[in-house]
Amino acid sequence: MKQCLYTMLVVLLYGATAMSADSPAGAKSPGSQKLAALSASPIQLTIPEVGKDVQRVALDNGLIIYLYENHRLPLCNAVAMLHCGSIYDSKDKSGLSGLVGTVMRTGGTTTISGDSLNNMMEFIGGSLETNIGTESGSASLSVMAKDFDLGLTLLADLLRHPLFPADKLDLAKTDVKSQIKRRNDDPNGVAGRSFANILYGDHPYGRITEWATVKSITPADLSDYHKRFFVPNNVMIAISGDFDSKTMIEKIKSLFGDWSRNADALPPPPAVESVVHPGVYEIVKDINQAYINIGQLGIKRDNPDRYAVQLMNYILGGGSFTSRLTSRVRSDEGLAYRTGSSFDIGSRDFGTFNAYCQTKAATAHKAMTIMMEEIRKIRENGVTAQELAEARDAAVNRTVFNFDTPGKIVRSLMSLEFDGWPMDFYKTYLDNYRKVTVDDIKRVAQKYLTPDSMTYVVVGKADTYDKPLDDFGKVTVTELAEPNLE
Amino acid sequence: MRSLRLLIALTVGALMASTAGAQTTGLQLDVKKKTLKNGMRMLVLENHSAPVFSAIIRFNTGSVDEREGITGSSHLLEHMLFKGTKTIGTSNYQAEVPIMNRIDSLAHLMRAEQTRLISSLNPPDSARYKQLRQQIADAQAEQKKYVIKDELWSTYLQNGGTGLNASTNNDGTQYFLSLPKNRLELWAYLESDRLGNLVLREFYSERDVVMEERRLSLENQPRGTLDEAVSAATFWASPYKWPVVGWMSDLQTVLREDVESYFKSHYSPANAVAVIVGDVNADEVFALADKYFAAIPSLPPPPPVVTRDAPHTGERRVEVEYDANPSAFITWATPAIGHPDLPALDVAANILSSGRTSRFYKNIREKKIGMASAGVDYARYPSAFTCTANPFPGHTVQEMEDAVYAEIDRMKTEKVTDWELQKVRNQIDAQLTRSLESNQGLASRLASSEGVTGNWHDFADRNDAIRKVTADDVLRVVNTYLVKRNRTVAFITKTGAGKRPDRPMPNAPSNEMRPQ
Repeated sequence: MKQCLYTMLVVLLYGATAMSADSPAGAKSPGSQKLAALSASPIQLTIPEVGKDVQRVALDNGLIIYLYENHRLPLCNAVAMLHCGSIYDSKDKSGLSGLVGTVMRTGGTTTISGDSLNNMMEFIGGSLETNIGTESGSASLSVMAKDFDLGLTLLADLLRHPLFPADKLDLAKTDVKSQIKRRNDDPNGVAGRSFANILYGDHPYGRITEWATVKSITPADLSDYHKRFFVPNNVMIAISGDFDSKTMIEKIKSLFGDWSRNADALPPPPAVESVVHPGVYEIVKDINQAYINIGQLGIKRDNPDRYAVQLMNYILGGGSFTSRLTSRVRSDEGLAYRTGSSFDIGSRDFGTFNAYCQTKAATAHKAMTIMMEEIRKIRENGVTAQELAEARDAAVNRTVFNFDTPGKIVRSLMSLEFDGWPMDFYKTYLDNYRKVTVDDIKRVAQKYLTPDSMTYVVVGKADTYDKPLDDFGKVTVTELAEPNLE
Repeated sequence: MRSLRLLIALTVGALMASTAGAQTTGLQLDVKKKTLKNGMRMLVLENHSAPVFSAIIRFNTGSVDEREGITGSSHLLEHMLFKGTKTIGTSNYQAEVPIMNRIDSLAHLMRAEQTRLISSLNPPDSARYKQLRQQIADAQAEQKKYVIKDELWSTYLQNGGTGLNASTNNDGTQYFLSLPKNRLELWAYLESDRLGNLVLREFYSERDVVMEERRLSLENQPRGTLDEAVSAATFWASPYKWPVVGWMSDLQTVLREDVESYFKSHYSPANAVAVIVGDVNADEVFALADKYFAAIPSLPPPPPVVTRDAPHTGERRVEVEYDANPSAFITWATPAIGHPDLPALDVAANILSSGRTSRFYKNIREKKIGMASAGVDYARYPSAFTCTANPFPGHTVQEMEDAVYAEIDRMKTEKVTDWELQKVRNQIDAQLTRSLESNQGLASRLASSEGVTGNWHDFADRNDAIRKVTADDVLRVVNTYLVKRNRTVAFITKTGAGKRPDRPMPNAPSNEMRPQ
């Protein structure tokens, strides 16, 4: 079936040459029978369960702990996660979340300085890091088992009593200032940032952080942020490794038991405005390729179509070499090294669909034309049963790798509760893929891919492209300005 | 790529040099080894904690084994190993043969025309060139009716394969993935088939892909451009001077037969090591190896690399005008892997730049001058100690260089502290233990140790050597190697847009095979 599709491509590209007509539809390789025989035995998958393999403990103050005891290696890992992130940052304090995530660690606590913390952790070869992203924050600890008591105590101290001193905030701001200054150096960064900004506008998913707001952030802003989000009923901790669970639960209670909960629920973050932004956005940069991103807003993670969407995108451009975009743009045409598409099914609000490639300037228009042909084709003609089977099998059979280390086991299960999925999520997980039909694929392609209203972001030198890009939509040209660092 | 390996050394500091020390931590790696009758080595480390395994096959063949004219061939060949065999990826190999022969003949004619056109006495393009290019494109299209696209890749993915990829650097080429446990024989079959029955199909379109890769990862990245510049200046003779991806002009003209001949001269089974780490039984792996890999005919060993640089006779400085903010890449020439001075240089790099207690962090980054990192290369042939330096806004490359040199100079007169030395030792112990969590990471370390030195335990030995390094050793090697005469500096000076000349050669014919 794949072969059939393939033949059509040959016709499109090279005109009606003789060989395309007699190309064997669904041709098999001489080795295919052997491959089938060696792929026949069922793949073993045991999904760990809460209450059986993994323990879940809820403290009175709302803190939730997942534990997985495993003595293979003398190591312990802990990851605390909490709901926070730049989706809650106000426009005039853009950059605040990131700074909290950095200075929380570098600034130390009310009882131990950041510098002392560095000395202690690095001397024992351990790692303790904090980070705040778009929709969540984390504190991660990795130490030898013999150092776990010390590590957990420091982790608890950081989560509960960070100091946020002015000198470490200044240092973190200097890092951010440098990143802002360098943000136009890498064309990929320019393309990604611009793409998100056009699709999301001033929503935090797409907002571009400028020095003016970063500069205005004070230690008090960081402390306020900490008070607001770092409360036990907003935190979960996954712990895995070489410890005794009973002792560990007592330890957790002594470290976190008197942490006061906060009665105030988090306000909902600003909603993404689900509108299209059709047009071609040319961004001028002196490079010899065009960095192309084509896409639109996609779905939220609670959308029941997420499984069909994921498989659809696997076939279109998510399945690396197996995908249609890679097969055509890269393998057939030699137009790009990296090409494909992503369809985000994990974000709380609308994620994005993004078809991408980087091709030499002289084939920019040609590559975009082919990419759009493939997007239209999957909407109009759907996919074959064999393509669907390959995508589905890949999704189902790689699930075993979600659980192949103690850390992944405990984090995979905790993240279900963290993201609000039902605890029996994995009971139906594989069936969710198995239920998807070729009709579903076509339906979701038609529903979520709207080629007539897509956003095209192209970074490069437009006067070197093979053809003007205005047949994809109205062209807006942007010159990259030197960031204002005053 | 060289740059990638340097990046690894730079970003995780001592990690590469820290995966052993089994004696100290009480951990033993029960690696079993078997050499097949054709010389191919198999290493197995059982880990039954999850029903999966990671596999890697590494050839001790990288860009250092190439010659001018075919630079980039190791990497191009790596791409070709995903293009199928006589029985995989084709519906009829015999029917493809005459078409590929025709393409080869046309490619010869085209290269002759390219060579003629490169001379500035001739116009940059010609009707004949375009015609040949079109004829090759037509023949490639004709071959496509027999091609079954990416069958190996699809099969692996459909069977739950993850982390499937391959990589090439200066010293080696590796093919790796992780699979569910009962796909071991599938792996053995597919891998042995592509080593024993390789067909270099779709070569000229893949050559185009690699040119795009060069533009993407090297020419349009300030870091890649700087890396190319510093390597070419650090090495005047050694083949480490060219980038792993190759010079653009070589990519434009290299022929399928060049790469096929490179495959035959460098992919002897005796030049390969396969490593499996995971939920397998070693005897079963060895039995499958005998069944599938032992039949691959043995070949003469690859030709030795004999070209070496003379000692540097003075500082070398290279300016790169580029549309990016200023940064610098600094190297000092160092000896090859196995030299007793490398562990002390590794310790110096670690103390300079690993973590927030490092000297670069405390004295350069916290003083808000900029960010710097350091690392040393454990390479098959004499290579380099490297530093990157990125000034913060308001500071210059010169200030960063001064700050980096000041830290290095301090190491030449003051011994590093006992606390710093013990920190390095503790870190390599912890990192060894941590590395055992990942099948794939461990497989990769075993393969590279075995491949480069013939001893899978080399990374453990290396850590023992690091553990024995004294403050006097560090003082001595810093004074020996990290000196101005031995130094090369490449730095970016920002240009305005539109001023950079087109790459790579002003008179090169338009290289791509496809009708535009």
